[in-house]
Amino acid sequence: MALDLTMPVLVVDDYKTMIRIIRNLLKQLGFDDVDEASDGTEALGKMKERRYGLVISDWNMEPMTGYELLKHVRSDPGLTRTPFIMVTAESKTENVIAAKKAGVNNYIVKPFNAQTLKGKIEAVFSD
Amino acid sequence: MAPAYPPEQLAHIVEFVRAQRNDLSLEDVMVLAERMAESLDGTMERIDTLLHDEFQSIIGEIGSLRRDIGGLRPDHMRFEKIPEAGSELDAVVEATELATGAIMTAAEDIMAADASDSEAFKALVDDRMIVIFEACSFQDITGQRIAKVVKTLGWIEERLGMLSRTLKLSNVEGEAPPETDAERRDRELLLHGPQMKGEGVDQSMVDDFFAPKPKASTTTSDQNDIDALFD
Repeated sequence: MALDLTMPVLVVDDYKTMIRIIRNLLKQLGFDDVDEASDGTEALGKMKERRYGLVISDWNMEPMTGYELLKHVRSDPGLTRTPFIMVTAESKTENVIAAKKAGVNNYIVKPFNAQTLKGKIEAVFSD
Repeated sequence: MAPAYPPEQLAHIVEFVRAQRNDLSLEDVMVLAERMAESLDGTMERIDTLLHDEFQSIIGEIGSLRRDIGGLRPDHMRFEKIPEAGSELDAVVEATELATGAIMTAAEDIMAADASDSEAFKALVDDRMIVIFEACSFQDITGQRIAKVVKTLGWIEERLGMLSRTLKLSNVEGEAPPETDAERRDRELLLHGPQMKGEGVDQSMVDDFFAPKPKASTTTSDQNDIDALFD
């Protein structure tokens, strides 16, 4: 899968400031088409209306967490191939293992920097 | 000596407890225990002087316990200290959000500015830098607010320790309360929140976990590989 800077990206986080930070970092990396959702339920609704090239999601949100969103995405034949990066403060080993088992493409521990985000996006699209 | 309570008065007390049992406080129970002990006082005195002394001691203990618990000022903790701490933390969240918003807006203005006019660009950068410096002053205020919350937590800890000592609870193994719905959700969805420094995994450990595994050689084996199979 090739990295396409024109693809739409969906950022999912319940903290508006974090969405703003990721949106600005993505803009610096060249991504201009960025949508946002404040939890898994809203994200899932948006994903059914539009095909996203990448989802960047927090874990801890209500009512639907990023982990639940990931499992929904991977179990939906229409969405299952969507690249999915988890960006979260959940840094226990069991979280990383659970996300990997559920099919996450990469995992970023908060706080993170622009270089880490860039590196993980590139890694996802070089696999 | 405290008056003995006739059976009909005790029946009134029992009826009161039945009627009030939904919102019976520790204070109510202690008052009742005290009254019950007092009511038996006259009877027990006639039966056994030793028992009488024991009951006098129990009455004294209950009275002392009431005074000690009163000294802990539980209502002050419930209605003043804890709500105050909550308000301080709300103010910290609000101040942090405001400051972050101001800093990000300033940074976004600089990123979006036209740098071709160097004089105008420098003026804008200088102006936004002042905004950023001003916004960073939130840390002083939030630091003071958090210090107040830490002080309140210390105050509560001290009083809970006093309560534990007063009620001699330090060696009592209490039954764990049942898991709430919120706790069950946190457990099932692995919601642990941020870890303290040194706990949890860092980004390099996560990267190792996601790094592609080197493919095992399927073409040749040296003698060490073969020996390892027979160890």
